[in-house]
Amino acid sequence: MKKMQADVIVVAAGLSGLAAACAAGEGGAKVLAFEKGSTTGGAANMAMGPLGVGSRIQRASMVAITPGEAFRKHMFFTHYQVDARLVRDYYFKSGDTIDWLEDMGVEFVGVQRAFSAPEATRPYSDGEFTWHVVKPEGGGIPGPRAATAMVKKMTEYAKAQGVEFQLETPVKKLIQEDGAVVGVLAVDAQGEEIEARAPSVIIATGGFGDNPEMIREYTGYEFGKTIHNFAVPGMKGDGMKMAWEAGAAKTPVIMELMYQLPDNMNHFYIEGAFRQPCLWVNRNGQRFMPEDQIGNTTFTGNALSAQPGKIGFAIFDAKLLKRYKKKGPDIVSHVHPHDLYDHFEEQWERDLAAGYEPICQADTIEELAEKAGIDPEGLKAQVEEYNEMCEAGYDEIFEKDRHYMEPIAKAPFYCCRQTVGAYGSLGGIKINHKMEVLDEEAHVIPGLYAVGTDACSIYGDTYPFTLPGNTMGFCINSGRIAGENAAAKVSEF
Amino acid sequence: MIHLTIDGQAVQAREGQSLLHTALDAGIYIPHLCDHPDLEAKGGCRLCSVTVNGGETPVPACMTLAEEGMTVEIRSEAAEAVRRTSMELMLATHPAECTGCPKFGKCELQSLYQYMGVNGQDWRQKSRPVPTDEKNPLITHLFTRCIRCGRCIRACQDKRGVKVLEYVRDAGGVHAGIPGGKRLAEAGCRFCGACIEVCPTGSIVDAVGLMEKYPSYADNVVPCRAECPAHIDIPAYIRAVREGRPGDAHAIIREKVPFPLVLGHICNHLCETGCKRTSLNDPLGIRNLKRFAVEHDAGQAWKDKGFHKPRTGKRVAVIGSGPCGLTAAYYLNKLGHDVTVLEKRPQLGGPMTSGIPAYRLPLEGVMAEIQWILDSGVKAETNREVTSAAALRKEYDAVLVAVGVSKGRKLPLPGAEFQQVYTAMDVLADSRAGADLSYLGKTVCVIGGGSVGYDAARSLVRQGMTVHLACLEQADRILADKEDQEEGAQEGIHLLPGRSFEAIEGTPDRVTGLRVHTVLSSTYDRATGKVTEVAEEGSQTVIPCDSVIFATGQHTGLSSYESFGIELNGRGYPAVEGFNTSVDGIFAAGDAITGISFVIKAIQQGREVASVIDRYLGGDGEIDETLAERSAEPRIGRVEGFAALPRVEQELRDVKQRLSGGADVYRTYSCKEAECESGRCLQCDLRLQLQRVKLWNEYGGDNG
Repeated sequence: MKKMQADVIVVAAGLSGLAAACAAGEGGAKVLAFEKGSTTGGAANMAMGPLGVGSRIQRASMVAITPGEAFRKHMFFTHYQVDARLVRDYYFKSGDTIDWLEDMGVEFVGVQRAFSAPEATRPYSDGEFTWHVVKPEGGGIPGPRAATAMVKKMTEYAKAQGVEFQLETPVKKLIQEDGAVVGVLAVDAQGEEIEARAPSVIIATGGFGDNPEMIREYTGYEFGKTIHNFAVPGMKGDGMKMAWEAGAAKTPVIMELMYQLPDNMNHFYIEGAFRQPCLWVNRNGQRFMPEDQIGNTTFTGNALSAQPGKIGFAIFDAKLLKRYKKKGPDIVSHVHPHDLYDHFEEQWERDLAAGYEPICQADTIEELAEKAGIDPEGLKAQVEEYNEMCEAGYDEIFEKDRHYMEPIAKAPFYCCRQTVGAYGSLGGIKINHKMEVLDEEAHVIPGLYAVGTDACSIYGDTYPFTLPGNTMGFCINSGRIAGENAAAKVSEF
Repeated sequence: MIHLTIDGQAVQAREGQSLLHTALDAGIYIPHLCDHPDLEAKGGCRLCSVTVNGGETPVPACMTLAEEGMTVEIRSEAAEAVRRTSMELMLATHPAECTGCPKFGKCELQSLYQYMGVNGQDWRQKSRPVPTDEKNPLITHLFTRCIRCGRCIRACQDKRGVKVLEYVRDAGGVHAGIPGGKRLAEAGCRFCGACIEVCPTGSIVDAVGLMEKYPSYADNVVPCRAECPAHIDIPAYIRAVREGRPGDAHAIIREKVPFPLVLGHICNHLCETGCKRTSLNDPLGIRNLKRFAVEHDAGQAWKDKGFHKPRTGKRVAVIGSGPCGLTAAYYLNKLGHDVTVLEKRPQLGGPMTSGIPAYRLPLEGVMAEIQWILDSGVKAETNREVTSAAALRKEYDAVLVAVGVSKGRKLPLPGAEFQQVYTAMDVLADSRAGADLSYLGKTVCVIGGGSVGYDAARSLVRQGMTVHLACLEQADRILADKEDQEEGAQEGIHLLPGRSFEAIEGTPDRVTGLRVHTVLSSTYDRATGKVTEVAEEGSQTVIPCDSVIFATGQHTGLSSYESFGIELNGRGYPAVEGFNTSVDGIFAAGDAITGISFVIKAIQQGREVASVIDRYLGGDGEIDETLAERSAEPRIGRVEGFAALPRVEQELRDVKQRLSGGADVYRTYSCKEAECESGRCLQCDLRLQLQRVKLWNEYGGDNG
């Protein structure tokens, strides 16, 4: 067994772990970071940027939101069911963290919101300008993966602070002596065990998105059935299990909901094409939300989750398809391909022929309902009512934006089943505002910190999509705060 | 040596070396994707573009040879522009979301776009969906993620010569694949996994679950070797057999075990349970190939190789001469210690000479392997029963207790104390020693359906006796392996499964029968050792017999702490921490600490405890040795119908022949059979020859 010694050990080098490593290294600590993968950054390699409130960029862009305002909005959104002090410290750190990243060499294209609400609902449902989207190196339009440029800068910065990365070396267990966590056991790619000791250990393993058993046990969803979440390989809930084993208290865990088709990568045109404010119904054929709100993917995930069988159906007709083809989508996604409707029919035909289960096409509404598994009577009545409202130009049920009131009348009809999706899991390990791990009696477990999604229980039941960049924001700020605290402990000795 | 400068840094190159590898060898990172250290460069991806001697036209560094006095700029504006465009085009057709990808976190493409900070949004994105194909054995194709670097194709075509993968065009565009939409098996794939190993993205991956069993990557790639308790280099010796080098094969096996022939006959071959060919049809006949190799090694070249450390003057006593004790003795002697083996029986070998019947394990083979251990310098005393390990410790620098589990255990039935009631261990020892077994009478009942029960029953059938074998397990739950059951039935054993035992009928000096009843089901609670059964009403019956033989478990036979001198646990086994007993310098290993197990496990225990004892005596504990050089031709070529090649079994001698003498039940492979069987190997280990591409974050200096 190989032995190692450090001041701070970081368990997993995703965004939270990298932030912790950078901050601890900056504070003068000798940092060892263990990572399962051969690259750093974890899920952040797929992301676009973190939340920040009160950054230089925001002030320069005349974005007026202050940390206090974000804090109050957050607390009203969560009905004060979460740790207010932790939320406060997070938002008040977040603006400075953007500046910190800029000083590290990270460039941002600016600050954005993740979606914009229709005019009528703007006062209470609109997104805030908190999302600091990373600028690709050498310029260009940012998209998914844009945040890799930040991951690279943070990795380089961490190395410059003397952080030592142990890649392809997962941590298996915490070492605990007299109640205090004093190190970890890890295994390298050759299968050799490593015993590493340090007075501070920071857990940052990113939740259990890739662990169907834990998803079922802690959130009630069935992976691949009632939820189609991102399963980033390796996110098995290792950190939570280790912390719980060391006596950490459990917090409720939620899935960071959105909506997604099964095997969506191979049906990406279909998925993108149906994310439109056309007609959305549940299994009984009834509408369940104003379709102009589906841009808030989190709320849509919640709405789907509340329907029978946790599913919904998006339906459009030949005329609407023609319109999308000509004018482009009503709601633009920054994730899906730009040529959605140029290739729609090609993929549609292929997927129909291959029997791709979520989709169907028919020449009558009854046949469509039959094929899709929707109650035919219910759907027929709903389409009639909906078409009448379209003709009248007013949605008297949900008051959907009249711009989207297009009847479902011209065959063929297209239908796609919508299922609940999610990014990963949120929460699990109880922490305080210093990111120290707490036991059931709310006593600190000495030497143990938890950060990022393993410990992110500040959202209550729903991800605050209106304060976008929040997952990465919490990851990076909780990591940074933990790293600073762990380093401060070293200098105290 | 050629001298040049790359990004202002003076470096040296070998004649004929590309600029890319010159830079990488000097620790200077140049992004690259289609290049792979084990494959011929093609210059396709353009990520390694550089400018040379102040020129304006970028050239691919992988295709440009280093020249004397060259000045190379990696980050010139022109080179960066080509590199960037190239990456953006790749990402424009690669799935925008990586989150469901099995390669996430270990992906070269991901690392590259991370390094370059490019996300591919400047181009119109065009998803090119190709259905995920999970129907091939062992290998999953997700060609939606293919970036057309061609590494898998070069590996399959040029490196391996198998020529299954090619560029194919379908509705989604061009990607790597199998022409004509064939299955891998029908296309002639040899499932070597080179394509998986070189794929820089998640397009070709190991089937779900294959890479998760062991902590080490190499073990997951070569599971046969990982499953073998002694980690014998199985693919290497199978290769040697196929190439007509049985001597090398024998030597390779000998690197880990001193009883290759014994194992070639009776090993429980965990290796075969790991064999990846099981996903195609049946596992390799690894054990049978082992036997073939040993029996065909004419030169015995291994005898002149291996380590012999200088004598240390330290003395070690080994109690027990089973596979664990003799293995430990063998290595301790090689490590320079004076080793004496003390055996209570008249002959050395433990179960190899006094338990396992001759029809499974011919005596001459065992004796030859034991003789080599003695020839190498191990001393042995037979008929020497040790009553106190503690007393022995006073005479020796270290003592190893490797007494095994040689005492049979009887069930506490009424009549178990009768004279005509024996344990299988006693009967097998007598049988192996060639003693007259007529004292058992004409009809015997064996209780217990494990391999020991079958050993006893099959031995006695060969003596012309009528043998009933009764066990608690139902017919489909019998513990002995399938071969034992089938061959035993052919030989005339009368099996009585699902029986519970009530009493032995008769008088103290004469057994008349075994009283049993039938059970419909039974469960065994491992924790408490309790059996609960559902009996069939009115099924009580007496099986008439002249003697009863218990094959219902074994124990060490060790006496109490006071007399033997080391602490024993509640079950009569030495209490150990690792291999250390309660007394300093006294160690225990093998079945004596694990409980009854298999020979290969005992050998591995012997190896491990030898290292531990050596370190205790001041050595380094190092016992690894190379007895044959490895060579593996990476170009395995095409074999039509490879996936369907049937497993070759050893020929089973007919029942008459089997019953008429001590002859081995199976005939060893012919040369032809061995060649065929070894030719079925997937050669999973070849994958490990392929180098892993170093990512940017593994380079030092400004790059990482």
